[in-house]
Amino acid sequence: MLKKIESARKNFEDDISKVTNPTTLEELRIKYLSRKGIVAQLVEALKEMPKEEKPKVGQALNQFKNFTSEKFDELRTKFESHSKSKREFIDLTLPDRQYTIGSKHIITQTLDEIKEIFKGLGFSVYEGPELESDYNNFEALNFPDDHPARDMQDTFFVTKNFLMRTHTSPVQIRLMTEKKPPLRAIMPGKVFRNEAISAKSYCLFHQVEGLYVDTDVTFAELKGTLVAFAKQFYGQDVQYRFRASFFPFTEPSAEMDVWWQPKGKDGRWLEVLGCGMVDPNVLLNVGIDPEKFVGYAFGMGVERTAMLKYAINDIRILFDNDKRFLTQF
Amino acid sequence: MKVSLNWLNEYINLKDIPLNDIIDKLTYAGLEVEDVVDQAKNFENMFVGFVKERKKHPNADKLSLCIVSDGDKEYNVVCGAANVEAGQKIAFAKIGTLIPSSGLKLEKVKIRGVVSEGMICSEKEIGLGEDHEGILVLDASLKEGVPLEQALKMNDAILEIAVTPNRADALSHIGIARDLSALFDKPLTMPEITLNESNRKSHEFADVEIIDSENCPRYIGKVVLNVEIKESPEWLKNRLKSIGLRPINNVVDVTNFVMHEIGQPLHAFDLDNLAGNKIVVRSAYDNEKFVTLDTKERTLNRSNMMICDAEKSVAIAGVMGGENSEVTSSTKNILIESAFFNPSSVRKTAKQLSVSSDASFRFERGTDPNITKWAAQRAAQLIQQTAGGVIAQGEIDAYQKPRTNKSCTLRFSRIEKILGYQIRKDDVEKILIRLGFIINNINDELSEVVIPTFRNDIEREIDIIEEIARIYSYNKIPEVAKISVTLEEKVDQSSFVDRLRIVLTSLGFFEILTNSLLNEETAKSFGQPIAMLNPQSSEMSHLRPSLLPGMLLTISKNLKVNEKDLQLFEIGKVFNQINKKIESFADFSEEEHLLLAITGNAQRSEWYEKDRQFDLYDLKGFVKAALVKIFPELQLKFFPFKQEKIFFEYGFDLFIEGEKIGSAGKLPEKIAERFDVTQDILIFIADIGKLKKISPLKKTFKELLKYPKVYRDCAFILDETVEVEAVIEIIKGSSSNLLHNIKLFDIFQSESLGKQKKSLAFQLEYYDSSKTLTEEEVEKDFWNSIKAVEKKLNAQLRGT
Repeated sequence: MLKKIESARKNFEDDISKVTNPTTLEELRIKYLSRKGIVAQLVEALKEMPKEEKPKVGQALNQFKNFTSEKFDELRTKFESHSKSKREFIDLTLPDRQYTIGSKHIITQTLDEIKEIFKGLGFSVYEGPELESDYNNFEALNFPDDHPARDMQDTFFVTKNFLMRTHTSPVQIRLMTEKKPPLRAIMPGKVFRNEAISAKSYCLFHQVEGLYVDTDVTFAELKGTLVAFAKQFYGQDVQYRFRASFFPFTEPSAEMDVWWQPKGKDGRWLEVLGCGMVDPNVLLNVGIDPEKFVGYAFGMGVERTAMLKYAINDIRILFDNDKRFLTQF
Repeated sequence: MKVSLNWLNEYINLKDIPLNDIIDKLTYAGLEVEDVVDQAKNFENMFVGFVKERKKHPNADKLSLCIVSDGDKEYNVVCGAANVEAGQKIAFAKIGTLIPSSGLKLEKVKIRGVVSEGMICSEKEIGLGEDHEGILVLDASLKEGVPLEQALKMNDAILEIAVTPNRADALSHIGIARDLSALFDKPLTMPEITLNESNRKSHEFADVEIIDSENCPRYIGKVVLNVEIKESPEWLKNRLKSIGLRPINNVVDVTNFVMHEIGQPLHAFDLDNLAGNKIVVRSAYDNEKFVTLDTKERTLNRSNMMICDAEKSVAIAGVMGGENSEVTSSTKNILIESAFFNPSSVRKTAKQLSVSSDASFRFERGTDPNITKWAAQRAAQLIQQTAGGVIAQGEIDAYQKPRTNKSCTLRFSRIEKILGYQIRKDDVEKILIRLGFIINNINDELSEVVIPTFRNDIEREIDIIEEIARIYSYNKIPEVAKISVTLEEKVDQSSFVDRLRIVLTSLGFFEILTNSLLNEETAKSFGQPIAMLNPQSSEMSHLRPSLLPGMLLTISKNLKVNEKDLQLFEIGKVFNQINKKIESFADFSEEEHLLLAITGNAQRSEWYEKDRQFDLYDLKGFVKAALVKIFPELQLKFFPFKQEKIFFEYGFDLFIEGEKIGSAGKLPEKIAERFDVTQDILIFIADIGKLKKISPLKKTFKELLKYPKVYRDCAFILDETVEVEAVIEIIKGSSSNLLHNIKLFDIFQSESLGKQKKSLAFQLEYYDSSKTLTEEEVEKDFWNSIKAVEKKLNAQLRGT
């Protein structure tokens, strides 16, 4: 019996070595592995064997059976992959199907970036109306009536007492009137300036202002917060400086400059934001005791920041919404 | 404001301080130096040279070979000028000098075989003038080796300083010098005034009467007689020219000089043209006409303050003098006006007349009434110096309520409380004293600080703390190294629109930002726009009542550059007038809107797909996809318009949970045409305020289906006017709750179906989340639906 198996194996090896296509392989499969094939015949023969020889022969038969089916599978896979690559030609150089993801306006993207940084520093985000009262935009912010400080911000008036906000500071007034300290928030939004449209100025732009009022707020902390912002936004190695300035709603007031080094051109200091300690008059106007609470505030223009970052030199292109511009960001 | 460094040096010694330090410190202290013209920079590396010897160039007739000495070394220089001679003192540029006229760096070169170690310059080459015929020959008395800028007295630097509106005191050379004195801890020296006055008093020659003392708290008149009007001396002309002023005559120049010296605007009247030799300060008459120095006739009213004589107006107070009393070449006797006018009165008048003079600029920021006398005397002294004449004794001084010094208490601990940094007490005192404050220490912690009257911006402790900090330098106050985060609730009011933007961009939309201001005609055709009181131009005179015009302008502009396939959105505020007069926030609306627009092709033909234009179903799909993402589980319904709307040819209203939040549809062609757009535009407008009010359901996990879904397909032949939604409603109504989804998968129209017929094919999805459905259950449900559709819509099931 073992000899029979051995010769069947030899025959099989001989047969299979001659197989060249799926058809002859199938013929061979029927010859050996079908219900009445050689393997099945051997299994039948095994049943007739004496009990004591069965294990040994059974093992050999099993090995033979496994060997044949492995060989078949191997060849079948080989033929299949062969036939596939022959059947279908895949042109891998065909262009891709077109999918588009849109994008937020570059100003929104820049705003988001600024917002993210300050949210990480524990700031909330508040919004407010663009058409404001003179009180919220100027008076409550310590702009005396008929004072040259008002000339700093050319204003679109709707009536004597209503105007297009010139900064997002009125949101600070609204917030401080509604809620009590501690308050830590930024106010992003659109603001208006009554200026002729040119490459450098537009009648509206976006601003992010920040406010922090608590019992132990200091100028040193204001500086720390803004430096933390500048490092994240402009890069860890940003060079910066603080200059004294004037805003009616802060005292002391400061401006922050960063060193701007365009490639291949002369570097220069660029003003990136205004800031200061909230003027006690402003706190009084919203019913917060300036002896007990101290605040700081800051504000920056988003367009200016975005233009710097992306080397855009004409502000008008931001509001042209040319698709060729929009799809760049 | 322009400031000359040499001029500043009259009041503070800055000679040993590098220019850059001065610029930096002023800038850090809030007097931002915006521009610097450093005259010396043009003369870097140039010296006075002595031509020791001049020979002919061995290889060129027109050139000469000179030996130039700078007192230290000798240089061989080839020179092409005909006028060079031995013994001359000349402007000598050494190797490495940047020649101003050409911008080129001077290098050591061989000229016709001879090495030249420098250059003898012409006037033009060093930017002094136009002469380039010959070299510039300098004064023989100059010493060789002296830097050229010194020899030419071109060592001034002119600083352009941006003075913030609070710093009225800094609008003069002495004002700037005072800050520098604190910044560099150096003494400030005021010019000394010694007057050589006659025995006769000013009163004898003129009189001053103030009717409006509210707006003119102080008026000083000082009389100088028998002056000779002529050109100013060089020093005075140079001072004025250095800061860009045009010299006029000695008297006018002196008044300008004193204004730029101390900040007090002065006016000189021809005393003989003042009727009654009298000054009256009063309000103008309504409709009063007056010709100012610039020969323009101005119309005034009662709110304007005038300087008059006994008969007529002679000046608009604090703004501009009149033609009728100006100093001319024949003027003999002069009245110098040195007054203090109410800042807001001057500001109103200047604004009303659209005039801004050097005088009004200073008056409206607030001058010091207590410096007026000093200024008048200083002017008299200088007029006598430059124009001769006799100064009448004393001044006519109308000053009813003299301004006294204010004071406030300063707590040293408060400085640290505000700044977060302790500045040494002696530094604090030094700064304040240099700035003109007087400090009376009460105890270690408390001081009384007396504020000088020229600092009208300072009243409170916090103002004094700012003075200390800005002079000390903000940059020397170290920033904190860590920030504590408070634990109160964090709010982000912008988070909703942020999400909206993310969802829309992921659907392929690009965000646009358009101008909120429109012209009247455009604005009015889209709502009830609010007009600007003071528009920049008629193109931007009204607030947008809708986002549509901005979008249409954008589409139109893009079509012009051949960008035809657009998928855009804008989120922004729109404004509409509610009541005729805007007196409160209730009289107008400000709403945040979302506008989506799609136009052109959804698909340009590609190898895998054909051209396809955007249609209403794209819009419906975008809107639904976006809103379902934001409001999952909420009921979203589109109701077709029953009639045409102004901004929609057809379309539907969108309801979420029964609340109408917006409309979508096709823009009427007529509107598109107004913006030169001929392709279809589909739009969706929503009120974000309403969307924000919808509270999304809290998401909870739903068990995944464990049993198979069963699908059944059917197709009906229907009248073509039957709406799909009607079929769906009937299928739904006639089914049990095993039916979960109905998908329309085919629409087909053909003659073979019959006239005005169409075929709609649906796939129905059945499942039960608690068991496997049996064939019978599904069949029963399915046939119930088919029968209902057949019956109610007169439909015929296809394939039967």
